[in-house]
Amino acid sequence: MDSVNNTTSPAPSRISKTRSKVADFFLMLYRIYAFILRFFKEVFLPPYEFREIVRQCYEVGVRSFTLISLTGFIVGVIFTKQSRPSLTNFGAESWLPSLVSIAIMKALAPLVTALIAAGKVGSSIGAELGSMRVTEQIDAMEVSGTKPFKFLVCTRVIATTITIPLLATYTAFIALLGGYLNVSQNEGTSYATFMEQAFEPLTFVDFWASLSKAIVFGFTIGIVGCYQGYNSTKGTEGVGKAANGAVVTAMFLVFIEEVLIVQIAGWFR
Amino acid sequence: MDAAENKKSITVGVFVLLGVAVFVIGVLTLGGQQKTFVKSIHISSIFNDVSGLKKGNNVWFSGVKVGTIKNIHFTGPSQVDVVMSIDASTQQYIHRNAGARISSDGLIGNKIIVIDGGSPQAPIVQDGDVLQSEKILSTDDVMKTLQQNNQNLLAITTDFKQLSKQILAGKGTVGTLLADSTMGNQLKQTMRNLQAATQNAARMSSQLNSFSNKMNTKGGFADNLLTDTVTFNRIRASVGRLKEAADNASILTDNLNKASNKLNTTDNALGVLLNDPKAAVKVQSTLNYLQQSSVKLNDDLEAVQHNFLLRGFFKKKEKAKQDSIKKAM
Repeated sequence: MDSVNNTTSPAPSRISKTRSKVADFFLMLYRIYAFILRFFKEVFLPPYEFREIVRQCYEVGVRSFTLISLTGFIVGVIFTKQSRPSLTNFGAESWLPSLVSIAIMKALAPLVTALIAAGKVGSSIGAELGSMRVTEQIDAMEVSGTKPFKFLVCTRVIATTITIPLLATYTAFIALLGGYLNVSQNEGTSYATFMEQAFEPLTFVDFWASLSKAIVFGFTIGIVGCYQGYNSTKGTEGVGKAANGAVVTAMFLVFIEEVLIVQIAGWFR
Repeated sequence: MDAAENKKSITVGVFVLLGVAVFVIGVLTLGGQQKTFVKSIHISSIFNDVSGLKKGNNVWFSGVKVGTIKNIHFTGPSQVDVVMSIDASTQQYIHRNAGARISSDGLIGNKIIVIDGGSPQAPIVQDGDVLQSEKILSTDDVMKTLQQNNQNLLAITTDFKQLSKQILAGKGTVGTLLADSTMGNQLKQTMRNLQAATQNAARMSSQLNSFSNKMNTKGGFADNLLTDTVTFNRIRASVGRLKEAADNASILTDNLNKASNKLNTTDNALGVLLNDPKAAVKVQSTLNYLQQSSVKLNDDLEAVQHNFLLRGFFKKKEKAKQDSIKKAM
């Protein structure tokens, strides 16, 4: 009887572990949902932390500008350079500006910006809020009557939602500039011709879809970073996990959202 | 601290402002491309098949982009109404009898609408006008034509195949020509003859040319003949006289002919003399008689001279003759 119990005992344990994981997953979903809902409840209520929003905009936007500009420029040059051989096979090098602009405006600019921001800003927010959580600064703020959610989370999410679309715009412009430099160097195309050809295949739907993507990506990076940091536990280990989780989850969600928004934009074409 | 905060705020302000400016410039550039912010008119055209034309595609007039496709919708069975937004500044150049057709931007580019034709006599197109659509060959139509061409090509090559086979076998004129060396030699000879004839013809042509040049020489016989009326009249008179002489000669010949004919007959004296042998014998005997008579007459006359009655007359005559000889000496 004992032997039977011994042999069958690991099975219920695995089931219970699986049940526990599934429950944890749904619990996490609920917490995220509640976190987002709380953000929308608190963001419209006073006091409005403008000064902190501006400070966060500076941290998120201005401090990321150099990195994202450089990345955008490299993306523009590399994409143009790599696309040339394929078009040369068809004798269609003149289509390079159109191809580069379509790729940059429709996908690369918001996506590259979001991925760089997820790595730099998301991890920073996750680590900052996580360390504040594990050092009980957030608890202290709550005790002192300051609204930590509004001050820490809402300001950061607003800052990322505002600055990442702006960064994406800069990235698009700088990437196009990189593409132009490469095309100009190889094909001798003038700036006016390049820009005319670059904007030729684009429509307002592409513009608004790109802008919408950047806004959603910004919100996602902010909210995921804040969620991971705000809910971090287990001391210093939790800070690392929060930073890592912020980056991984944000990047994953960015790709999911990319697919969804491209699909939605397709309905308006 | 406040100064640092202000500096950050200003930096953020500049960052946001520049970002918004870049975005607005992008929107305006795109709007300029799409002719969104320019005054435009709407015209339409109804097609049976729009070949994948989409809203936002370009409209070209004489190779210049003048607008975009604003809307595409069905209006009836197999009829698609395409509404085009045309830049108002180009309106004055498009006339109501212009046609619209679906084309593509390059070989594999986007579909576009091309407006072409239209005469200045027709009124200028107005907002809401419907342009006549022109059917163009679709890719399927082109492929059908190509298929037909391929079949024709196949038939032609099959014929050529048979032809070349027959030529190789030495059948037919060309085959014989290629296979038979004798015929080839004959052909070569013919060609040589032809070449010689051509050279002769060229030479003759050259000579004719120089002859005609001589003919055209001012003051020459031919030139006088053709241009001098006096010479012409003289020649005409000479010809007239020649004609007259010829006529007389003809009459003379007739007379001679008649006379010779009469000489052949025996109904006249000469004819009898020439043609009748009996008469000839008679004439001959008569002449013989005459000869004998003349001899006898001569003797008689000799005898008369010696007669005393006439002897004095003959002596005087001899003497006068001798005197005239002496005077002459």
